[in-house]
Amino acid sequence: MNALVLSAILGVVMMFSGILLKRPAAIRSVAIIGLLLLLASNMLDMSGTRFFSINLGDFLHFDRFAFLFNSVAIFCVLVYVLLTGKAIERVGVKNYADYFALFFFVLCGIFLVTSFQSLLILFLGIEIITIPLYILTGSDKRNLKSNEASLKYFLMGAFSTGLMLMGIALIYGAQGTFAIEKFNLLKIPGSPLMIAGMLLMLFSMAFKVSAAPLHFWTPDVYDGAPTVFTSFMATVVKAAVFIGFIRLFENAFGLLQPTWQLWVALMAAATLFVGNITAVFQQSVKRMLAYSSIAQAGFMMLAIFALNGDAKEGLLLYGAAYSLATIGIFSVLSRMDDYSYESFNGLAARQPLVAATLTIFLLSLAGIPLTAGFLAKFYMIKAVVATGSNLWLVVFALLMAAVSVYYYFRVIQAMYFREAGEHSASFQEPGKGFKWVLVLVAALIIALGLFPSLLLNWLYF
Amino acid sequence: MIALLLILVPLLSGIATFFIKKEQAARSWAMLAAVVTLAVSLLGLTVLNKANYLSFHATWLPELGSSFSVGLDGMGQLLCLLTSLAFPLVFLATWRRSYPNGHSFFGWMLLAQAGLMGVFLATDALLFYFFWELALVPMYFICSRWGGERRIPVTFKFFVYTFAGSVIMLVGLLYVYFSAGNSFAMHDFYAVRLTSKEQTFLFWMFFVAFAIKMPIFPFHTWQPDTYEQSPTAATMILSGVMVKMGLLGLLRWLLPVLPISSYAWGDVASGMAVTGIIYASLIAMRQDDMKRLIAYSSIAHIGLMCITIFSEHKTGLQGVMIQMFNHGINIIGLWIIVEIIERQFGTRKMSQLGGIAQKAPVMAIFFVIIAFANIALPLTNGFIGEFLMFNGILNSTVTKYGVLLTVLAGTGIILGAVYTLGMIRKTFYGEVNELTANARDLKWNESLALTIIVAIIIVLGIYPQPVLNLTNEITDTILKNADVLSIKK
Amino acid sequence: MIHLLQANISTSAPSSYLPIGLQIAFAAGLVALLMVLTHLLGPRRKTSDKLQNFTSGIESHGDARQPMAIKYFLTAILFVLFDVEVIFFYPYAVNFKELGWAGFGAVLMFVGFFLCGFIYIIKKGALKWED
Repeated sequence: MNALVLSAILGVVMMFSGILLKRPAAIRSVAIIGLLLLLASNMLDMSGTRFFSINLGDFLHFDRFAFLFNSVAIFCVLVYVLLTGKAIERVGVKNYADYFALFFFVLCGIFLVTSFQSLLILFLGIEIITIPLYILTGSDKRNLKSNEASLKYFLMGAFSTGLMLMGIALIYGAQGTFAIEKFNLLKIPGSPLMIAGMLLMLFSMAFKVSAAPLHFWTPDVYDGAPTVFTSFMATVVKAAVFIGFIRLFENAFGLLQPTWQLWVALMAAATLFVGNITAVFQQSVKRMLAYSSIAQAGFMMLAIFALNGDAKEGLLLYGAAYSLATIGIFSVLSRMDDYSYESFNGLAARQPLVAATLTIFLLSLAGIPLTAGFLAKFYMIKAVVATGSNLWLVVFALLMAAVSVYYYFRVIQAMYFREAGEHSASFQEPGKGFKWVLVLVAALIIALGLFPSLLLNWLYF
Repeated sequence: MIALLLILVPLLSGIATFFIKKEQAARSWAMLAAVVTLAVSLLGLTVLNKANYLSFHATWLPELGSSFSVGLDGMGQLLCLLTSLAFPLVFLATWRRSYPNGHSFFGWMLLAQAGLMGVFLATDALLFYFFWELALVPMYFICSRWGGERRIPVTFKFFVYTFAGSVIMLVGLLYVYFSAGNSFAMHDFYAVRLTSKEQTFLFWMFFVAFAIKMPIFPFHTWQPDTYEQSPTAATMILSGVMVKMGLLGLLRWLLPVLPISSYAWGDVASGMAVTGIIYASLIAMRQDDMKRLIAYSSIAHIGLMCITIFSEHKTGLQGVMIQMFNHGINIIGLWIIVEIIERQFGTRKMSQLGGIAQKAPVMAIFFVIIAFANIALPLTNGFIGEFLMFNGILNSTVTKYGVLLTVLAGTGIILGAVYTLGMIRKTFYGEVNELTANARDLKWNESLALTIIVAIIIVLGIYPQPVLNLTNEITDTILKNADVLSIKK
Repeated sequence: MIHLLQANISTSAPSSYLPIGLQIAFAAGLVALLMVLTHLLGPRRKTSDKLQNFTSGIESHGDARQPMAIKYFLTAILFVLFDVEVIFFYPYAVNFKELGWAGFGAVLMFVGFFLCGFIYIIKKGALKWED
């Protein structure tokens, strides 16, 4: 609750800081301090120090899982602001503070989605997350691609929101309540209204996390949006919606698992297939990362499929590992003026440290041991194997992970094994702080890859 | 303690190497680290050969049912000795070779050594998988960065093949993990009883991963290209040490864990291996490139070891272990000669060479001895290994096709003699041409490396008893766990 | 047996959908009926004046699809926004006594946020008509 209220207030503060402060560096400092405050207040909340005593009724329930993910999300946004905050200036200095305000509002939505207890709050949270994203996508007003992306995202997003509302309405019709705790699935386990509502919810959530076959908007939107904002919405936001997804399906539809499990399995397999295979054929690293985010979503879908303790822990780890690594890659990408693979040629010779950290991020995404990405994938497949059946899904997922090595390693190959040529893009010389944060993130990824308990123990102690 | 040191010394010194900027200093440092590792390995074999020194346990990922457990058994001792011997030999033999960005080359080499040691030492399945992948990454970087012209796609193929195989193995490991009561420990894996249906699909999940690594026909297609394109120092490690990962996998993680399916499907695997032997030998005869020839000969040798493993006979298994060591030593010797030739003449094509023996007699003597060991002439170490292996296959009660396999694999040996001797004839004898006219003999570092190798070849060829003693106990353990015939009765 | 979808139909008999079916049929039928009826019953005299576009008694001229200053939209949207927010005062006015001071505090907060937005808009120059 602390973080929820604070994030809304901080959003307003950021809005006015743009009017009061003129220097971008000052605005950025305010945002960083705000994020630190938010992180601290959330940690305090987790350890029992609550600033507000409000009867939340059936609307919200903050549990340790939600708190921990909120902390991860705030931390990731902090890392994101530290790494790419300066690059946002390139999108537009005039509305600089407003972008940060939108980040805080998105965080506010994330806190709602991770701890909703009523379908209304879920809807509200999803909307609070997505509306700022429409704005961020179209923020590069002079760029036609950005405009197109924004419009596409808005139309498709509105459509999926409609689906979700319809689903909620049908479920209300079946259950007579929005509170997921009061759902009575035993009495009438499979009334058509309930099933139809649940399927609509499934599809709209799948749309939000860009799971196939509802992924079509993703590449265009991620490619068209300014790179700095793609980094934001492909990572923290996606992970957060997954938390909402698993919460919805565990708490609301858990008893209907036999009904939807096969659907989710097929969707996960399709997502993995489409994401990985299409990513192979991309020529632009940015577009490749868009497809890679679809592929990673496929892996996270496995958690929803399995829906056990391992799956929840794994999803948390996956969200952290995936977000951190992708934010790191995008932060480097946003400093280049060309996004083709060739532009990475010979980067290792010019920027050894940046190349080394980037390699760690890519290895983590590919799921090579010793990185958090491996353990995250490991948790996922462990959760699925634990369900006993459906080994085919695991084998398929891992084969697709092997495919993913192809496109992740192309970047490594370009950086290390190819000479810098005429295609190599100019790389904006990074400052000391940028490098330190990159090293810190890389170290964190390796630390989580060795000792996931560093993160997951917070769930229990 | 010894087991931990064997991993830690190369790991830490490898990381340190990246920060040494001067190439010569990095090379000396790497050599020092490799020699220290060798010393540790020898200590483990002699003075500190006690159970409490040889294994090490630490808590790690307890929530996943895993732990950092490493330990040395007879097979581990032998393979770790091979690993710790191979790296100083490689560094010694390539002492004069300069690499661009040399310090990171030596750093990656030492990291590869740490990974390989981990694979040979791990007594926990998840840890085994960890090291299995970690050994791969440094080799990938070495081969892609310092290799030949087509290095990037070729090495990448190698990486993806191995990675794809290993992730499938990971599913298998997880399945056994759940059956073993949520534990990755080796003894729990050995104790688990799986139905024959489960064992069948698990067998193929494991076998494919190991078969890609060894490689066994038809999973071998990455191998000749990779050996050809890699820098020779990396090829030595790949062929001398890394293929043993697959064999060790079969012996430690397949036979004892899945005895029923090893019994049921062993003949199929043997059939694939024997096909590979004949196929690789025939192709080797037609090769002009020395590196490719040796690469194909390696497929044939590994194939024989694979057949022997599935014949599950004590003599044979001891032969396999001794031969794993010998093959590593011999093939490193061959690569060293090839490396010298390539550096001197700028070509590996046998058709362009000839008559080197007249100009470089010492090298010729070394080469001939190593080649004899490679084709298993008596009094060389290769003979001991292959004799024991054929003995095992013929006397095996597990496979019904012992005689047939022996005959076919024996044909491979004869073909091996044909192409190996052919290689000697074409390169070292015959007419001297203008390319080889001013060939020089060995430098001190090359002589030293080859002397060590030849000494091992001859000593083990005459007196293999210490190795047989070393592997006695572990073969019994493996066979005890792999025994299904007595259960059937 | 693989079920893509499991639904337990038996608990709700088909007959219970009768009212919904009737309603749909009635709605669709009424629309169709009215359209057909007006078409049949009404007399038709087409003149050129009657077929012209007609808005608020002003004769149309030019093309409707010409670019227009974004400020019109902005002002219109802001009007709608504030207009809608004002609606929330109605339920408060009705329940003024019941809600007491707590309700007053809540509404004060609401107005505060409201004001923040208003100040922000003015400061951002959204209502400045001339550049």
